[in-house]
Formats: sequence, C-alpha cells, structure tokens
Amino acid sequence: MTNYIIRRVMIIPILMAGISMLIFAMLSLLTPYERAALYVTDIPKRQGAIEGIIEKYGLDDPIYVQYWRWMVGQKDEDTGEVTGGVLRGDLGWSKVGKSTVAEVIARRLPATAELAIWSAIPLIGLAVWMGIKAAVNHDKFVDQILRLAAIAGWSIPTFVFGLLLLLKFYSDLDLFPPGRLSIGMNEFIQSDAFIQYTKLHTLDALLNLRFDVFKDAIRHLVLPVVTLSVVSWAFLLRVTRSSMLDTLRQDYITTARAKGLPESKVISRHAVPNALIPVITVGGLTLIGLFNGVVITETIFNIKGIGSFLAQAAVALDVVSVLGLTLFSSMILIVGNLVVDVLYSIVDPRIRLD
Amino acid sequence: MTFGYVFKKLIKNPIAFIGLLLLLGFIIMAVWAPVFAPVPENARDPYMIPRDGFSAVPVPPNEDHILGTTEGQYDIFYGIIWGSRTAFRIGVVITLFTTLMGIMVGSVAAYYGGWIDEVLMRITEIFQTFPFLLTAITLTSVLQAVYGRGEAGALIYSAKILAFLTFGHSLAEKINPIQLTILTGMISIIMFGWMTIARVTRGNILTVKNYEYAIAAETIGAKNLRILFRHLMPNAIFPVLVIASMNIGSYVLTFAALSFLGLGAQRGYADWGQMISFARNWIPSLAEYSHIVIYPGMAILLFVLAWNLVGDALRDILDPRMRGTK
Repeated sequence: MTNYIIRRVMIIPILMAGISMLIFAMLSLLTPYERAALYVTDIPKRQGAIEGIIEKYGLDDPIYVQYWRWMVGQKDEDTGEVTGGVLRGDLGWSKVGKSTVAEVIARRLPATAELAIWSAIPLIGLAVWMGIKAAVNHDKFVDQILRLAAIAGWSIPTFVFGLLLLLKFYSDLDLFPPGRLSIGMNEFIQSDAFIQYTKLHTLDALLNLRFDVFKDAIRHLVLPVVTLSVVSWAFLLRVTRSSMLDTLRQDYITTARAKGLPESKVISRHAVPNALIPVITVGGLTLIGLFNGVVITETIFNIKGIGSFLAQAAVALDVVSVLGLTLFSSMILIVGNLVVDVLYSIVDPRIRLD
Repeated sequence: MTFGYVFKKLIKNPIAFIGLLLLLGFIIMAVWAPVFAPVPENARDPYMIPRDGFSAVPVPPNEDHILGTTEGQYDIFYGIIWGSRTAFRIGVVITLFTTLMGIMVGSVAAYYGGWIDEVLMRITEIFQTFPFLLTAITLTSVLQAVYGRGEAGALIYSAKILAFLTFGHSLAEKINPIQLTILTGMISIIMFGWMTIARVTRGNILTVKNYEYAIAAETIGAKNLRILFRHLMPNAIFPVLVIASMNIGSYVLTFAALSFLGLGAQRGYADWGQMISFARNWIPSLAEYSHIVIYPGMAILLFVLAWNLVGDALRDILDPRMRGTK
C-alpha cells in the first residue's frame, strides 16, 4: 500500500517535467521579443532597447539553456534580483490581465473554485445513483431513457446548452441571471460590513451569517453549475451503468441470490460497493472534463474566473498568459489524479499487488 | 467480425438506426448544399455566408430568410447547410490524422515493448494529462501568433498539407488567410487527440501478439515490420477504426467550441460554432432572438448525436463481454 503510493508520487516529477517541456516547446515557437514577457513587465519602446532585453535574458540562447532559465529564473548580475522561474511561481507577465500571471491566477481562482466545487458534489451523487438505476433495470424503459439522456448530454455542446438555459431562465423568465452576484450585493460584499474569508461568495456569506448574500450567490450559480455538470454527468452515468452491469453478471451475485437474500440487499450490499470501484478511476477524468467546461461556462455566464481569462487571453494571442494558465491547471490535474489513484488503491486491494 | 455483420447489427438496433438516418441526412445536406442553398452569383467564396445588409440587429425568420439572420445579417439557413460540409471536412481530416498517429504510436509501443513501450506510453500519459479543450485553445493561439508573422517554415508545410486534404487547396498556392485560422484549430486538435487511439491499438496488438499465428510467423523468421503490418495490424485494427469513427463527433464539438470562442473559423464563415458565437452579444435579449442559438445549435447537437448514437451501439456490438447477452 505505502509502496504503491510512493511509486505513484515518484512518477509525478516525471510527468511535471514532461508537461513543462511541452509547454516550453510551445513557448519556443514565439519570437524572442514575444518571449520577453516571461521576464519583464514593460518592454521599452526606445530604439535598441529590445535587443538589450533579448541579450540580458538570453532569449536567443540554445533552447536547453533557456528552458533551465525559464524553470529556475534569471539572476540579475548587478542587483542580485531574480526574475522569472516557474519553480518560484513566476509564470511571466500577462498583457491581457495587466499584472503577473501568478497574480491573475490568485485573483481569479476563487470564482472558478466555487463553480467547480458546487458542480462536482451534486454531480457525482446524481450520476452514480442514476447509473445504478439504469443497470438494475437493464434494457427496461428507465434504462433506455437514461441511456438516451446520457448520450444527448454527451452530445450537446456546452455553449449551446448554456445559451439555451440563459435564453429560458434569464432572458425569458428572469430567474437566474449571469455573473456571480447582483450589483447591489457586489457593492455590499466589498464594504467593511462583510469580511471575505475565502472569496468563495457562498461560503463567506455563511461565515458572515448573511443569508441574503448566500441566496443571491446561489441564484447566480444554478445555471453555470448545471451547464458545467451536464457533460461529466453523462459520462459518469455511462461508466457507472456499465460497471454495474458487469458486476451483476458475477458469480458471487448469483450466489447471494441463491442463498435467498432479497434483491434489494443483493444490490446494495454486494453489487454497488464493487461496481463503484471503477467509477472512482474515472473521477480523475471527470475532473479533466470540468476543466474543459470551465472555459466555456465562465465565458457564457460572465464569471471572472480562470477559464474566461484563458479564453480572453487566447483570442488576444497573449500566449505567455495562456501557457502559464495551462501549466497551472495541468499541475492541479496531476495532483487531483494522484488523490484519485490513492483512493482507488485503498478501495481496491488488487491494484496494490501489481 | 466483419463489416457486414456489424452493419446488420447496427440496422437492427433502433438507437443506432436513428443515428444512421441522421448521418444520412447530413450527408445529403452536405453533398447537395448548392441545391438547398444556392450560392449568390457574385460570391467569391461559397463558404462565406451571404449577407443581407449590415445592420447589427438579428432578424427573426421571415420570407426571405426562412431561419432568419444573425448579427450582421448573415443568413442562418445558408450557414447551416454549408456548415455541414465544414463539419464533415474538419471531422474526417482530423480523425484521419489522429488515427494514423495513434496507430503508429500504439503499434510500435506494443510490438517492440521494453523501454520503447515505456517511453511512448509515458509521453502518451503526459499528453493525456492536459485537458483537451484547454490545450486546443492554447496551441491554437500559439499557432495563430506564429502564422501571423508569416515566417513559420516547417509549420507552414504542415498547414499546407492539411489545407490540401481539407479544402483541396493546391500545395503550391499561398494559404487563404480565412482558411488559415481553421487549419490552426485543426492542427491543435490533432496534436492532442491521438492518445485514445494509441492506447487502444497498443492493447489490441498486445492481445493478438500472443496468438499462435503471430508466434508462428516469428518462428519462420518473418521480419518485425512484416509481422506487425501483415499479421498483427489487420487483426487488431477493426475496433480501432470504430473508435476513430466515434471520435469524429467529439472533434467537431471541440472545433465548434474553438470557433465559439473566436479561435476557429472567422466571422461569417459557414461554421456552426462561429454562427453561435454571435449570440454572446445578445444574452439579455436572447428570448427575442432565440433563432440565433436554436437553429445552429440544433445542427451541432444532431450531428454529434448521430455519431455518438452509432458509436454507442458499435461499442456494445464489439464488446465481447456483451455478446451473447441481450
């Protein structure tokens, strides 16, 4: 067990190195001038100033030298000040965000985190429950309907689904508006009367015991959460269903039935716990799915998070920001996948042996 | 397992049958696009949606425009019909490339094994760690920045080959700037879309590698590549091709998302995702202009749904554990 976890953790640096190389390979397609944004915040317009920067930061050095400098940073000979260095958390300067990429991430992460957390929790429960229902009623009406719904949910583009929801519930019925908070509420939470502990509006509202703020935040979260969840929901439902179908065909299920257990017990005690094991593995994939959805969802619902920033920066061809954000999200994903794998090895003893 | 057997099973499955019908509908739409939506006489490029004036406000369906016009007076009906061609072209060409790359990586890894396998699979894993849409967005913006300079060397050639396959564009000509943004999107999806195929190919070849005929071929002294291409590939490839066909839907979806964000097709191009991107400017009054989302949205949904319906049924047919059960 401990062995397995150690082995998993040891792969992480390899993966991270690979990812950083891939990102740097994309960066190296840029001109030295464009790459200067990795180190400096303002490129002077004077004649010859650019050449100075290129020379100072060695932007036309051999690629491996530059890669290393990008990772650990560049030390200024005169002042002793270190600039750049991904390992120090410096991802460069964001033209679109008008601050460092790291600051952009810090500023925009809470909105994304709030959206992702609210999406992930109900999503998993609902999808697993429906998947089990579908499998137990294999090929019956419920199964066919859920299957069709899953395929439809898997096929509908996130942006079409989100826009349709806005069409009905905002433009038509005016129930759930886009954004994170109403204008009045937004002013209120900036004031001294409201302490922002976590910058997650729903959590802060509860900590401040302001249920009107909580209600307003939830009202703004409903549509984006539904939009973001639907693809992953469909995916999880399908996986749960097929895993449950597999389990129900096992001999020990027949045995359980043969010894006269009621069907409900067979399902809940013998089938479900075993069927859920593979579902945990795809938890990691679902996480990836959420990352994809965040870009589109935040853009449509005007949520100022990491995803919508990525979209803005990409359209403005602010490559340094885009690559910095991609690097950051990949790191989160690696850690997320590690957690999933470890959980998996705790639940399924067979994994630890190989 | 032959093509005939699979096809017969597909027709019998009601869900797959609906999918096949939908696909047939889209094929008809794409092939006879000039009949359904005639190209205006003075048009320079049939893929640029004709405009009826320059007013920004969308016009709901009326006599002249049966599905209405979107912002900038682009005709929605014309865009949907010609957009089906764009969808097929993009989907098929991307699938072709990802499948080839996947088969190459997967078969080499499986056949040679050892450290080659280890390295290739680690690389695959690294590529898979990235969220697909995120990297597609990232690489597209990098490539557009690079192509924007117009001095991209080897990259220009890869874009030209793609342009040749996608648009029948001659290799000698300069690439049309309208098509260039589409090509950058396609390259990005190809670069990060081959991993599933590689894994499945590897798994399948590992299975057939240990069958008697493969061992027999090795014993009589057949060369590595000959064993791989003559004996292993034909037996491992069929399920791979099925997965490849299922991927078309998801590639089209990803490309539509790129276009929606403003990174794929350019404004006014007959592309479904691009058409919907106008709706971003009209969110508070969407109820009034619902046609600018609903019609192009339906086109994407049905197109992707068709592939997924067929794919879902195919998976059930091909999954050996499912055979024999109802």
